[in-house]
Amino acid sequence: MNAIEIKNLSKNFGAKQAVSGLNMTVPMGAIYGFIGENGSGKSTTEKMICGLIPKNSGSIKIYGKDHTDETVRAKMGVLIEAPGCFPSLSVWDNMMLQAANLSIPDAQKEVIKVLKMVRMEGAAGNKYKNCSLGMKQRVGIAMALLGNPTLLVLDEPLNGLDADGMRIMREVFLNIVKDGTRSIVVSSHLLGELQKVATHYGIIRHGKMLCEMTAEELDASCRTYVALQSEEMNRTKMILGCQYSRVEEDEAGYIRVYDLTEPEEIVKYLYENNICVTEIKTDKIGLEEYYIDLMKEGK
Amino acid sequence: MEKTVKFEAVSFSKRMKSMLAVDFRRMFRSKLFYIILACALMMPILMTVMMTMMDGSVSVDPQTGVESIMVGPENTWQNIGTLPGDPLGCDEVFAMCNINMAFMGVCVFVCLFISDDFRSGYAKNLFTVRAKKGEYVISKTLAGFVCGALMLIVYFIGTVLGGAISGLSFDLHGLTIGNLMMCMLAKIFLMPVFVSIFTLISVAAKQRTWLSICGSLGGGMLLFMMVSMITPLGSTFINVILCLVGGILFAVGLGAISKVVLKKTSLV
Repeated sequence: MNAIEIKNLSKNFGAKQAVSGLNMTVPMGAIYGFIGENGSGKSTTEKMICGLIPKNSGSIKIYGKDHTDETVRAKMGVLIEAPGCFPSLSVWDNMMLQAANLSIPDAQKEVIKVLKMVRMEGAAGNKYKNCSLGMKQRVGIAMALLGNPTLLVLDEPLNGLDADGMRIMREVFLNIVKDGTRSIVVSSHLLGELQKVATHYGIIRHGKMLCEMTAEELDASCRTYVALQSEEMNRTKMILGCQYSRVEEDEAGYIRVYDLTEPEEIVKYLYENNICVTEIKTDKIGLEEYYIDLMKEGK
Repeated sequence: MEKTVKFEAVSFSKRMKSMLAVDFRRMFRSKLFYIILACALMMPILMTVMMTMMDGSVSVDPQTGVESIMVGPENTWQNIGTLPGDPLGCDEVFAMCNINMAFMGVCVFVCLFISDDFRSGYAKNLFTVRAKKGEYVISKTLAGFVCGALMLIVYFIGTVLGGAISGLSFDLHGLTIGNLMMCMLAKIFLMPVFVSIFTLISVAAKQRTWLSICGSLGGGMLLFMMVSMITPLGSTFINVILCLVGGILFAVGLGAISKVVLKKTSLV
């Protein structure tokens, strides 16, 4: 059984087609990285999963049941765009309201537990409006975690978090899915962070699912490259450009030659052209570069 | 072996109980609720005292030179309602600015209460875990009804206090305490009619508070004049039943429309 199974989902806002024939499968126990450009339809899809906006056509199944089923919905946690908190209430009061909403029997204990998970127990008495952006984000995640949800839908949960906050969230996400039944859908533009936790990916573009893959499949399809530095960078780049199909200079000042794993071949070729290589290494592109490549290919 | 996930069904009564708990908790903790009640208490006291003090004062129109004499209230219960044919000699101010203003006052509460859900983003959390939109409508209507009923009761208390402070007559002019109580009950039972209108307009307007308040005031005004006709001081059991049936019918009918509006439109 899959956590989410979406078939042929469409949504339009007037003449604008936000989501068009989208198919998406989130396996049970997965951390599903939902990636796409701004306006690609990520948030719209997530809102439809949560029943916050009506769909025009298609089907959304959550754990085999229709997404409008109240039993399934009662076990969902959500953070979309911004945490839904009343600014004038304290963090604690906001959490208690949501706990009451979820009919959690031992609400105080549960609220303390989730606040501890996101390291916000010390700020429970603060008014929500006085919290920093990162603190608000943590509160939002804590609120989504209330009631031990089976499915979490998080839209940009890492925005505004500091390095420690991101590490904590990674731990929280991994803890949630470790029993193999609970699943998380995370959309984020921080692809480097996402890559550290995601087990599955879905890339959306113009409201259509471009591709879905596991982390292993992504790893296998990420291009390898040889990165090097020499004494004559411009000449090196020009010479390599004549021999290899894709040669680029990266932000760190290395010349990258893609789809190669043997650095000896390049060293030999440059030596024949009287260029001395000072540093050379082999590596693989990350999710971010893979995604950018994919977007370029699409264009 | 394939892993499975079980989902427990929560009964309607349990869901409703938690929904009401949230709304009433919010209501009793909001400053707005107490400000509205304080206004409902102070308004009849200030109006009665001020108008009694100004009773008999003469004002002259500087352009025409015509003198006019201010007529104050003669009876405390003029703040509650009038009898057919105006036997209590109710003046124009009290004919409009009486307890029936609570029906419009509750509009501010309902509109802000609902639009706050959408403005804060709380509606996202709420509707994600609650697929049944009807429960939200029922809960908001009940919270609005309780607020409205309390406003009416507080206004009544304010009226009695105002009458006592300004030394006005408490004579019921042939009516009984029973009529007065029936009048109050009829007004309370009529409250759901207004609350359900305000709820419908607010769920349609969502985070646009100005639209929900303007729309609700406009919608409420259409029925405002009806209140004094259906709930006069000389109300009987028939008036109470009429208001009760009307209140239930409006709440159910408009509540169903509100539910459809929530179901068919975006909640964010």
